[in-house]
Amino acid sequence: MELDTFRRELDAWLDEQDFAHSVTATGNTGLDAHMAQLSKVKRHTYDAGWMRWGWPERVGGLGGSTLLRGYLGEALTSRDLVEPGIYSMTEVLAPTMIDYARPELAAEMVPRLLRGDETWCQGFSEPGTGSNLAALTCRAVRDDDGWRVTGQKVWTSLAQYAQRCVLLTRTGDAGHGGITALFVDMDAPGITVRPIETMHGQPEFCEVFFDDVDVPIERMLGDEGQGWSVAMDLLPFERSTSLWHRGAFLQQRLQRLVEVSPSVPTDELGDVIVQLFALRACSRATQYRMAAGERLGPETSVDKVLLATTEQAVFDLVADSLDVLTGDDVDTERWRSDFLYSRAATIYGGSAEIQRNVLARRVLQLGPEA
Amino acid sequence: MDTAERELFTAALRQAAASPAFEQGLEDMGWADALADDRRTAVATLFEIQGDHDVTSTALDTVIATALGLDKLGLDGRIVLPAVGGHAAPGTVDGNRLCVRGVCRGTPAGDVIAVTAAGYQVLQDVRMRPIAGMAPSLDLVEVSADVALDIAGPADWSAGVAAAHLALAHELVGTSRAMLRLAREHALEREQFGRPIASFQAVRHRLAEALIAVEAAQAAADAAWLAPGTEILAKAVAGRSARIVARHAQQVLAGMGFTTEHPFHRYLRRALLLDGLFGSSRTLARDVATEVLRTKRLPQPIPL
Repeated sequence: MELDTFRRELDAWLDEQDFAHSVTATGNTGLDAHMAQLSKVKRHTYDAGWMRWGWPERVGGLGGSTLLRGYLGEALTSRDLVEPGIYSMTEVLAPTMIDYARPELAAEMVPRLLRGDETWCQGFSEPGTGSNLAALTCRAVRDDDGWRVTGQKVWTSLAQYAQRCVLLTRTGDAGHGGITALFVDMDAPGITVRPIETMHGQPEFCEVFFDDVDVPIERMLGDEGQGWSVAMDLLPFERSTSLWHRGAFLQQRLQRLVEVSPSVPTDELGDVIVQLFALRACSRATQYRMAAGERLGPETSVDKVLLATTEQAVFDLVADSLDVLTGDDVDTERWRSDFLYSRAATIYGGSAEIQRNVLARRVLQLGPEA
Repeated sequence: MDTAERELFTAALRQAAASPAFEQGLEDMGWADALADDRRTAVATLFEIQGDHDVTSTALDTVIATALGLDKLGLDGRIVLPAVGGHAAPGTVDGNRLCVRGVCRGTPAGDVIAVTAAGYQVLQDVRMRPIAGMAPSLDLVEVSADVALDIAGPADWSAGVAAAHLALAHELVGTSRAMLRLAREHALEREQFGRPIASFQAVRHRLAEALIAVEAAQAAADAAWLAPGTEILAKAVAGRSARIVARHAQQVLAGMGFTTEHPFHRYLRRALLLDGLFGSSRTLARDVATEVLRTKRLPQPIPL
């Protein structure tokens, strides 16, 4: 399937679908409503084939370029059919399963994620490890037929909805070599999930507690001690298709802003349009590098910083153009929530400072830090 | 051009840029033929090298003349560029008079062509004043004329502006890359407190910030070739990025970069002037935003 054909046929199909109306059209902007909408959209697009393009056939896909996935997410986000943050979990976690799970496990599980039958979460951060991920301490010890996990994760997006978790555990010595990745059933005995109330009003992050949780040996992702590679290979996926989708989301929100606000300041709008153009240009180039089979690396930190900076600029402009301070209608609630969420854009997924460290060390090759 | 041809082409251009007879070198290597053959490669490569080597040529005229369709008329002349700061056509018509205010890169030897909303005209009786100004290395000349209106044929100035925006965006990318390179080299060599200043996080983050700006400008210039109408945005990104890079690079270069013994000052001057040519990032962004507020439509996004 060629991208242009895919684009044309998908657009025509979306124009005709009954389900294809914005989640905010229902007047319910809560996370439950967003999650229900996401499942519905994924099921429809999977059953019609769209969601299967760009994924390998051995996990239920139809093959073809990853650009097809890029466009699907762009089309869904541009039409405000899905919230890109929760949609992106698929783009981040499915490639990890495909690369590291046993083939039978990947073939069994990935279609469930793609079709929206299941939600997965990513258990990386811990209370003691924010930027310093390699210091994680959630421990897994071998017993007869598998691993036994005890510890805590935090900032685990969508854990309260999730059936599975890609979990990083400490199985060996301190440092990068002592980490192992596991694929854990979230209904296993001993797991407790506690959603975290956040300032933007959507409890999408959770704390997850593991208390002697048994994980079968065949649920290992990669080999014992290979968890750091799993994590490092996963991170660029946060900056490829999902970042392209987030760029489309910002475009859609900015377009909406100029439609609804009578008082958008001209100079600030101009600066935001320029930044958004640069972000999408950079992100587009990354999509093509990935589609060509290039291995994405530290240079994708450029995309991440541009996204964070642009997202904050877009919603700073929103705050200058709309009554986010005192407005209480459904639309303003959403603008306010988006504005507050954008404050975290320079924090989550590797802080702005960590991204700059990565660029300095690994792209500019400035040598070790003092 | 394929990859191998592009590499050869780039090497030949770099060699020409390193020699004192750059203009002649361009002619010898057949750059104008390359422009006809593969516009994107010819423009992107040449202008990035011009920016990087801090050299100048009349290639911008050729690019604009080609976009206006004037190259096919066998005209051998120079195009009057808009005065620094804007991108309106340099010629304005008043009754049966043509008034021209603009600049040229280098003192024109042959014909001088001015474009107005009504078309193009070959100028007689042109006044010229060399501009030292902020960036003497750009060899700018102020051009003015007040002559009888004698339009020779049609020319769509907006096509010329779009082509100039793209070329200048690439030139700014080259200038920005050069500034980042100078600052990076200095940070690795210069030692304070017993270690290279490149080991200090405050310095590292400035250089990372400059890198992000350079890559954003490069991607924007490359993407604009795929989405006609976005050239103005590519130029705005490039100007904005060049100012960001200049600020961080100058701070990292510190006292060294403030002297004329170090080449940085030439690049700073060039970046500021290139930003102003055909409209600065700020004025271009304002132009785009004004149009968006009028139509309530953002510019078409770059297609995947």
